[in-house]
Amino acid sequence: MIETRSPRARAAALAVAAFILNAAGLGCFGTQARAQDAPPGDAANGRSVYLKVNCFQCHGRAGQGGAMNYPAPPLAKTAMPFEGFKMVVRESMRDMPAYNEAVLADKDLVDIYAFLQSLPDQRPAKDIAILGD
Amino acid sequence: MKRRSNSPDVARRNFLKGASLASAAALAAPTAANAIPAPPQPKLKAALPGPLQIAADTQPPNKDPATQATSGGDFMVDVFNTLDIDYLAMNCASSFRGLHEAIINGKNNKIEILTCPHEEIAVAMAHGYAKIEGKPMAMICHGVVGLQHATMAMYNAWCDRVPVYVMGGNIVEANKRMPGAEWVHSAIDIGALTRDFTKWDDQPTTLQHFAESAVRAYKIAMTPPMGPVLLSLDAELQENPIQEAETLRIPKLAKVMPPQGDSGAIAEAAKLLAGAENPVIVCDRLARTPAGLARLVELAETLQCAVIDNAGRMNFPARHPLNMSFRRGPVLSQADVILALEMNDLWGVLNQFSDRIVRSYRQVYKKGAKVVTLGSRDLYQKANYQDFARFQEVDLAIAGDGEASLPALTEAVKRLIDEGRKSAYDARGKKLAAARLAMIEQAKSDATLGWDASPITTARMCAEVYAQIKDEDWSLVGNAIRNVWPLRLWDIKKAYQWNGASGGAGVGYNAPASVGAALANKRHGRLTVAFGGDGDLMFVPGTLWAAAHHRIPLLYVLHNNRAYHQEVMYLTAMAARHGRGVENAHIGTTLTDPNIDYATVAKGFGVYGEGPITDPKELAPAIKRALAVVKRGEPALIDVVTDPR
Repeated sequence: MIETRSPRARAAALAVAAFILNAAGLGCFGTQARAQDAPPGDAANGRSVYLKVNCFQCHGRAGQGGAMNYPAPPLAKTAMPFEGFKMVVRESMRDMPAYNEAVLADKDLVDIYAFLQSLPDQRPAKDIAILGD
Repeated sequence: MKRRSNSPDVARRNFLKGASLASAAALAAPTAANAIPAPPQPKLKAALPGPLQIAADTQPPNKDPATQATSGGDFMVDVFNTLDIDYLAMNCASSFRGLHEAIINGKNNKIEILTCPHEEIAVAMAHGYAKIEGKPMAMICHGVVGLQHATMAMYNAWCDRVPVYVMGGNIVEANKRMPGAEWVHSAIDIGALTRDFTKWDDQPTTLQHFAESAVRAYKIAMTPPMGPVLLSLDAELQENPIQEAETLRIPKLAKVMPPQGDSGAIAEAAKLLAGAENPVIVCDRLARTPAGLARLVELAETLQCAVIDNAGRMNFPARHPLNMSFRRGPVLSQADVILALEMNDLWGVLNQFSDRIVRSYRQVYKKGAKVVTLGSRDLYQKANYQDFARFQEVDLAIAGDGEASLPALTEAVKRLIDEGRKSAYDARGKKLAAARLAMIEQAKSDATLGWDASPITTARMCAEVYAQIKDEDWSLVGNAIRNVWPLRLWDIKKAYQWNGASGGAGVGYNAPASVGAALANKRHGRLTVAFGGDGDLMFVPGTLWAAAHHRIPLLYVLHNNRAYHQEVMYLTAMAARHGRGVENAHIGTTLTDPNIDYATVAKGFGVYGEGPITDPKELAPAIKRALAVVKRGEPALIDVVTDPR
């Protein structure tokens, strides 16, 4: 059937779209400011949960991104604001699993976000010789 | 034509003669009830003849000779020599022993046998070979059990529209079958098993029939849309002496010309493209030959339009300024005319699908955009297997081979370009080129994430391989599922530097298809590399032995995520949907406990093996050592323990 999205699903899609635009340098989010808006979390526990509930299967252990049937964006130092991030995880889109509170508590979600913010960001590609060509 | 001396008519006469003798013997035989004592016999001076001597003296002359001077198999070899076939991949089987013997011992044979430890390997090797070499490899198997092994690989070739020349041995006449295996290995119609995913099949009953069907099969396989064909070869026909040889004739194989799109429709498409503000080309299995690549570049550059390549073939240079394959959303949302060239799943490109309970979808291209298709798929479809994908509504559907039709389309577009349009096209092209440069830089930046991580990222794995082959005449012939890094990072621009995928997504394709492609490259002196998943290799590990046995140089880089990873994610999605047990998704989907030591597996098959490599710093030296092996003409495998994707 043709998609008739719920308001929450639409919001999740918008959040992802904004995130992707931002990642491509075309958006208008202030990355640092948005990340700082997130509730404080336990990055160590976030890492543990990130691995336990299989986030890494698509997005990579280093948050480098990957793919299922559609691309799974990089999440290291994600520029997506926490509320948008939470909405995407809860509602999902395309082929991403939707994680409800029964499998991923709010507290763990906060910790995962903290873990993602703790990951090393991209490096300048020119610093890695073999990426020069 | 007479067959064996015990051919049906002769055998029937023998049967009747045997029956008469038996009746006479019954009448003459004495019975115990009315037995009359025999008169005394004179004493014999010599011993009585034994049963063998009695048989030799009393039986009719031998009608089942033990030797022969010619065989149908010899004639079949003569037929194959007229076709452009260099290799016959096989797993040996008695139902084609006649042809097998004729090939290895016949004077005129030009075909080289490839020994494969599984029929699926044989077909997949032929599949990968055909896409590099542009012509089919032959494959032969037991028509029943061997063909059952071969079917999945044949389905892949069907979905990928690749010509593979498959033959299956069969014993058609029931009274010629030996008890046991020959019965369970025979069928009335072996082609029934694969008819849903072959273009054509036949079971010749005479050698002349074989000659005509063999040439017909080749022609059908090579006419776009290409695909696998099947010949059932009767064992009697292969093995028995040739009768009436003077009447046999091998038909000439004509040059096969692909069908072109209707000229009026091509002109209409050109008008739409030339007048569009944002035309977009999407393609999948367009380039059948190197000319297809050049022709698409010419059309795209003429229009200075975006190209989205689904990469079913080497259609378009990866780093071309107009390549928007990794920016398809924004490009499609602005397109006013979309030209789809040899697309299989156009609906899948033009819509976004949500794999949730309702399984909804959303159109991703601009409402009102005109969609034109040009391809050969509409010329030949079957009903049962659904590889034709979801029906996409379009405005103009041109049935014709894309590659063959492109020159006419490009010329028609050029005729419609005036100075005003040219200026607009150039401006459009510059914008796209700038976006492409940004995409390349973004890909490199993305590749740095987790650069030193263990398990190793797929980006680093691909970057390390490319760094060591980029100055060689390389060919990438295999890739693991969803490994986008070669297409994002590598300068893939030559016709043989990318070889598409399986077509049917049947696991067990990548390793043997890569070996088949490497065999094709060997003749051209290219350095062949492939990435492949561990799950895929576990279906067909014997592929490694075939590569070693035939000295096929290939660097096989194992993307070892120790799982059937796509299924891990699907199972995670199912568990999440039910709100339970996400952490159990590894059960039934992973290849751990014990971890498989693929380097040792490779060594066991006679292939150079290194790994498991978990430290990214060890990767470059391992690749260097393995490439040295490949450059001396042998296969090598590197087991790289990677992050899942």
